[in-house]
Amino acid sequence: MSSNRFRGGPNKGGPRRQENNRIYRYPLPLIFSDSPPSRVRSILGLLGLSLNQVLNPNCEGYYDVSTRSVWIVTQRDSEILWRRGFFGKGNLSRSEPSWFVRQMKDRKSKGSMTSEEVREKRRADRKQFKLDRAAAIAKVAAEAETIFETEGRVVVPALFGPEIPSGATWKPSTVEPEADAGLEQEQSGDAKDTETKEEPEEEPLEDMEHLQLTLQEAFFLAWNLDCLSILDPDTDEPLSLSEIWMTFQQVYLAPPIPNSPPPELQFDNPFLVHYAAYHHYRSLGWVVKSGLKFCVDYLLYKRGPVFTHAEFAIVVCPVYEDPQDQEISTTQLQNSSPFTWSWLGTINRANSQVMKTLILAYVTIPARSRVSRSVLNSPACFAHYSVREVIVRRFIPARMRD
Amino acid sequence: MDIHPSYSALASVVERYPAHGGALFQTYNDLKLAQQWRDVEVKDLGQVCKRGGIQGRRPKTAADADSLLHVVPCALAESISMVWLKDVFEALGNPSSIYLAVVSDDSSIVYYKLSSGIVKPSI
Repeated sequence: MSSNRFRGGPNKGGPRRQENNRIYRYPLPLIFSDSPPSRVRSILGLLGLSLNQVLNPNCEGYYDVSTRSVWIVTQRDSEILWRRGFFGKGNLSRSEPSWFVRQMKDRKSKGSMTSEEVREKRRADRKQFKLDRAAAIAKVAAEAETIFETEGRVVVPALFGPEIPSGATWKPSTVEPEADAGLEQEQSGDAKDTETKEEPEEEPLEDMEHLQLTLQEAFFLAWNLDCLSILDPDTDEPLSLSEIWMTFQQVYLAPPIPNSPPPELQFDNPFLVHYAAYHHYRSLGWVVKSGLKFCVDYLLYKRGPVFTHAEFAIVVCPVYEDPQDQEISTTQLQNSSPFTWSWLGTINRANSQVMKTLILAYVTIPARSRVSRSVLNSPACFAHYSVREVIVRRFIPARMRD
Repeated sequence: MDIHPSYSALASVVERYPAHGGALFQTYNDLKLAQQWRDVEVKDLGQVCKRGGIQGRRPKTAADADSLLHVVPCALAESISMVWLKDVFEALGNPSSIYLAVVSDDSSIVYYKLSSGIVKPSI
């Protein structure tokens, strides 16, 4: 009697979950070291002191102007930042940098699948299921036709039933590997020649992928956790925190004209508005990722993309405390003007389809008349921004009575 | 971005239109390295559109492996109008459909297929 927990192999269900719990056990890049309990520790504990050390991985990344992002190029730092908090995204992959692994696997074509391969297989299976189901429905309808013609009896062709595959009863057929095996046997005589021809064509594969952090993620790691140093790509020197702060804001302002003073800092800088929202949700413990695939700004994951699907989709709606600031502003902030009902309906529909709750996060931009713009010289300006949430759910009066 | 091996193929177009260099770079890398497209080339879309475009073919194992497909990258922050789309279609020689690649800061890309005129739904 085999245990149900291990049904499906090492990559499904129980063992996979245990493996994920082990790999992703640290929610942030900083780790607190555990030392064994001792008398000294308990005495210090009574006094409110602790001997715990903070282990800082000290990652490094390069700032890239054109893509407005920070690139993590070393394997060690990529792994740390992804596994401890799901920061960043592999620029050639769906989430975790897996391009190199996929390329090596293409050459050997064996072993367990990466998430992109799982997705492709699932889509191919679903397409095949739909074709089989359509064929079965057509067959039942044709039978009903012939019964009517021959016997005159009217039979209503069923859309479901024992003959028509449903999601629960359909199994993918394994026809293709047999066909390939047949071909291979025929060409076994030529196999040796092709093998020796292939080897000299394979060059050593260089990893062309990096982990890409948005400016908000990079600033969060550098300013709050102090575990990331951002290097200037031209000089390889680490940028100071104030240089990072100024650069990240200026990349969104008017393009620089040579030999003129840098443009003035603005409260409605998209970097500041988005960072206020990002920081708000990260500090509450959510894993915040990009929501481009669902037409929203951010997706909130409870523990990480590896564990469950995102439950909430966030749209950042900036609100000016003083409407006059909006009139004289040169920045075009998205969603800062009243939105149309059709836009809200579209986004809500798209997200309810994938079982996500839509949240409008209103970020208040302080008024220039009340707060001086000199506060923008340091991150202390975030004390003046506030984030309020409004949850949107479609209400159907006929069906929702409670 | 300049030291990346893919940059040499893009250099001339990026230098002419620096504002859209990031989106072009990310789309080019995604098509060539991740999606494994063949015959990938960068085209200059002219002074009207002021950006670069990409053309190529899907990998051999794909459904429409032989047709030449056109991709136009754009950044998430841009706003697109019908005039913009018309200019892009003209600059590419009026193909029946193009792919619009919307690029985000964290390197997520979504592709939208835009056809000129009405398209009947496939059965």
